[in-house]
Amino acid sequence: MTIVLNTLETNDHDDEIATLVSNMGNEVEMIKTSGMNISHCMGCNHCFLKTPGVCAIKDDYEQILRKLAGAQNLWLISDTRFGFIDYRGKRVMDRILPMLNMNIEFRNGRMRHSIRYAPLNVGLIYKGHGVQDMLEEWCERTSDNLGGHSLGATALMGRKEGA
Amino acid sequence: MHIVIINGSPRVKQFSNTDKIIQSFATGLEEDGSTYELYSLSDRKEWDAAREAYIANDNIIIAMPLYVECVPSLLLEFLDTLPTKRTKPAQLSFILHSGFDEGFQLRLGERFLRALPAQLGCTYGGCLVKGGTFTIRTSKPQDAEKMTKPYQAMGRLFAQRGTFITKEAAKFTGPEQYPWLLRLIVGLLLKKVVNNKFERFAQGCGCVRPLDYKAYQDNS
Ligand SMILES: Cc1cc2nc3c(=O)[nH]c(=O)nc-3n(C[C@H](O)[C@H](O)[C@H](O)COP(=O)(O)O)c2cc1C
Repeated sequence: MTIVLNTLETNDHDDEIATLVSNMGNEVEMIKTSGMNISHCMGCNHCFLKTPGVCAIKDDYEQILRKLAGAQNLWLISDTRFGFIDYRGKRVMDRILPMLNMNIEFRNGRMRHSIRYAPLNVGLIYKGHGVQDMLEEWCERTSDNLGGHSLGATALMGRKEGA
Repeated sequence: MHIVIINGSPRVKQFSNTDKIIQSFATGLEEDGSTYELYSLSDRKEWDAAREAYIANDNIIIAMPLYVECVPSLLLEFLDTLPTKRTKPAQLSFILHSGFDEGFQLRLGERFLRALPAQLGCTYGGCLVKGGTFTIRTSKPQDAEKMTKPYQAMGRLFAQRGTFITKEAAKFTGPEQYPWLLRLIVGLLLKKVVNNKFERFAQGCGCVRPLDYKAYQDNS
């Protein structure tokens, strides 16, 4: 199963996104988060230490987590700011901690939390002026945290200027 | 020197490891005659005052925990509200810390922060980078103090030099990665001792599930 989290606020890339998503295989589900109620992670650690795997914030993110629990691939679609993912895109990724558990191990020579479900591969499709190699590295690091491998970072082309 | 410190952690001040780090750091600042004012972004009521202080002052430090390999989304939202041009020049410096120990863990966050000041019309005053802070708030007070104490010397140093771009600050990070033999030993320790400790700690907090409980899947 592949989950696509589209955190863009506008529709101007919908056609291009539809093409990209259609190439992701059969089992794909896209979730548009604009209009959904999703808060920032507040670091309460309940998902690690009090109610393992369950976030203490009761908002629309829970339905996303339920799907991620059975997914192999996660594509984040995000706008950019300061060359990086903007706060809306980062917000849905900061809420991903329930996919891990408190236990610590070494993975690829680095300390990591153990994964709660199957390994999850992470990729990014971004809009605007992202720093390509920084975003690629973020995908690699984040995938490693989730036990998977990076699906890479791809820039949306948008309409050609003047067209 | 007067410094505006902004705590970018989403965790409420009372429980924030970043806050404990800042307190120790600020003790060092004051020992060397500097003054500071502190704002915590976990409380949205402080955002307007934090932004005004950011605009009106020329020496700003943002301190934050690493969140999913970079800075917390809450801080990104706050940064989104800052003006990108300044009438008054300012230096923007950072304290970035993380749950895991190795310096490697923080390098992408540091990279993002290094490029940030120029995009806000500020100069870069360096980034103090250190891991291993996950257990500050769950430790006994004297152990927590041991963990935050080294920041006091860094506060003094910042008051003297006005920057984190120093040999001492670079050294403060510690090792980039554990050597393989240590990884082997620590890995074994994690498996046999530490992870069980977490399990018991959780039970002590009233947790009734195993820590690796699959909340959204069949656990059988
Ligand atoms: C949502 C979330 C994501 C985190 N991501 C990382 C990470 O990628 N690497 C790491 O070493 N620590 C990570 N941590 C651990 C924090 O950086 C660490 O616990 C820190 O001490 C928290 O400081 P605070 O209490 O001021 O929020 C994360 C914590 C949370 C809650």
